[in-house]
Amino acid sequence: MQRRTFLASFAAACAPSISWSDVGRPALLAAGKRGEDFFLHGLDALGQSLFQIALPGRGHAAAAHPTRAEAVAFARRPGTFALVIDCGTGGVRHRLTPPKGQQFNGHGAFSADGSLLMTSEVVAEGSEGRIGLWDTQDYRRVTDWPSHGIGPHDIRLLPDGRLAVANGGIQTDPVDRTKLNLESMRPNLALLSADGSLVDQIELPDLAQNSIRHLALTGTSIAFAMQWEGDPDDAVPLLGLWTPGSAPRLCEASPAEAFTMQGYAGSLAATDTRIVITSPKGGAAMVFASDGTPVATHRRADLCGAASLGDGFVLTDGLGALWQADDTGLQALGTGQTLWDNHLVALG
Amino acid sequence: MRAVILSLLLASPAAADTAAVVQDHIRPGQAAFAMAANALAASDSCDVTTLTPAFNAAYDAWMGVSHLHLGPSEEEGRALAILFWPDPKGLGAKAQRALLTGDPALISTEALVQQSVAARGLAGLERLLFPAEPLPADPCPLIKATAADLAQMAVALALEWGPYGDLLLSAGQPGNPRFLSADEATQALFTQLATGLDFIADRQIGRPLGTFDKPRPDLALGHASGRPLRNVTLSLQALRDLAFRLSPESPKTLAAFDHTLALARDLNDPAFDGLADPQGWLKVEILQQSVRFTRETAIAELGPALGVTLGFNSADGD
Repeated sequence: MQRRTFLASFAAACAPSISWSDVGRPALLAAGKRGEDFFLHGLDALGQSLFQIALPGRGHAAAAHPTRAEAVAFARRPGTFALVIDCGTGGVRHRLTPPKGQQFNGHGAFSADGSLLMTSEVVAEGSEGRIGLWDTQDYRRVTDWPSHGIGPHDIRLLPDGRLAVANGGIQTDPVDRTKLNLESMRPNLALLSADGSLVDQIELPDLAQNSIRHLALTGTSIAFAMQWEGDPDDAVPLLGLWTPGSAPRLCEASPAEAFTMQGYAGSLAATDTRIVITSPKGGAAMVFASDGTPVATHRRADLCGAASLGDGFVLTDGLGALWQADDTGLQALGTGQTLWDNHLVALG
Repeated sequence: MRAVILSLLLASPAAADTAAVVQDHIRPGQAAFAMAANALAASDSCDVTTLTPAFNAAYDAWMGVSHLHLGPSEEEGRALAILFWPDPKGLGAKAQRALLTGDPALISTEALVQQSVAARGLAGLERLLFPAEPLPADPCPLIKATAADLAQMAVALALEWGPYGDLLLSAGQPGNPRFLSADEATQALFTQLATGLDFIADRQIGRPLGTFDKPRPDLALGHASGRPLRNVTLSLQALRDLAFRLSPESPKTLAAFDHTLALARDLNDPAFDGLADPQGWLKVEILQQSVRFTRETAIAELGPALGVTLGFNSADGD
């Protein structure tokens, strides 16, 4: 027996784990609320639920292990839980707790080989950002790195192993989420090397109150979605594109749609040619070309979750519906009693 | 047989509340606005005194439906073009100045449609009829073009509320792509009520209120034409009507509206000029608090009665 095969079978024997195909090959993960209960769902490409797993409280986002049928469900900020869930049995394999005085902050990402989980975290007092590292063999805490900003939210691993971090810039009350520094906030988008050192970083000097919160990869750049904390009567761009090494490009909505999103992008997703941002506050999804040109606006109350699937997008809303979205409009995939939470996560 | 009856029940038409809102609130309101805007556009005069009654009638009618941020009102930025406010950067005045000092041949209704939404509509007309400083050229052609453009938008809006109203009325029926259940239509209308009250408290009152040390009556909606309090009152009346149509048995909410309307009436300060005076400022702040209380009351009373809540995600924020 070759050493590699032996190690693989040894690992399988020690930690019997099943793959995503064993649980029906879900295309998407989404957290939701049904009645007074909270769940994480695995959905197929048509939005049918393949499995649902109870969560102890309101979820926010999830991260999927690249190979094992294992997902990490993150609590809504300030994060009191992150659960490593066996998507075959529904059992909780591990309950992750950040170091004392730190809190999870909504998102996480696996390394390409699945050996590491990274989590966005804040020091509860002051909201200084940290990136937590966990060894996925046993979900032991390895270490943490500075996120190089205040209030990191979404993080996204680039194919080359570097990590993009949306440092939202907002200092929050550790208990009730009250925003404490809106007049002095300075969000940034940071790029960390695979060993955690800062490689590059951008700020928005003219739009310092535009919190950079969510990320998607377009293939050529990092797309970032923002939430405006300044005067709501100022029309500001909510989507930006950054190719590290160059200045960011901010993407304005068309003039007639300048206020449609109400200064708030809740989620985003990208295909090779399109980027979509959603606004539950504005009840709309806005589609842009990958160069940042606005293409279309589609209206639907409480839209938030967004994921790319092939050439198109799947969106979810807080009324319980799933939608297929493209340039021409929204098409209902289905509706039910589960109110879908902020984020929809595409697998694979 | 039982299955057939059950399926009929499932495909029940829109809830009674939705029907009342569409038929007795939205469509008549849009029709009234279309008629008033047409009457304004029909005037041959550019004289302020002659035009003011028709201008006020159109503005009044828009206040009756301006809270409806859905369907046709949202298409093509129409609600923005009809009343672009607030305009903290003065985009509308800049665009109009360019038009007035430019080639007069470029001033036409067709050309206005291509203009920035900030330059059009009631806010545009107000700046031409009640200019803060002398205008650089005769505003008459632009007044006429702006009024005609407004009338066109108002008519299109009233017409489109026909089919869009049908979508609300047929919520949950097969083939309705917009509203997948009757509850979704109810929730959409309930949301208009809450956001409409937010808009009055935060913008219509909040902007002129400013701070105790620095009130800004000049920032009020309709300040130049002396309409700030009238706009607040008409908006409140429109939202009270919406609440009543949605859920007639809402005594607490209707009482909160009536109390707020009484406060507005007693203010007796049409342009919010009394904000400069500490007593006057406090009275307007009390009015603002009463609007917010009305919102909370409506959410607490109508939400459970209608079986809907505000958006799961929109109310969360992250």
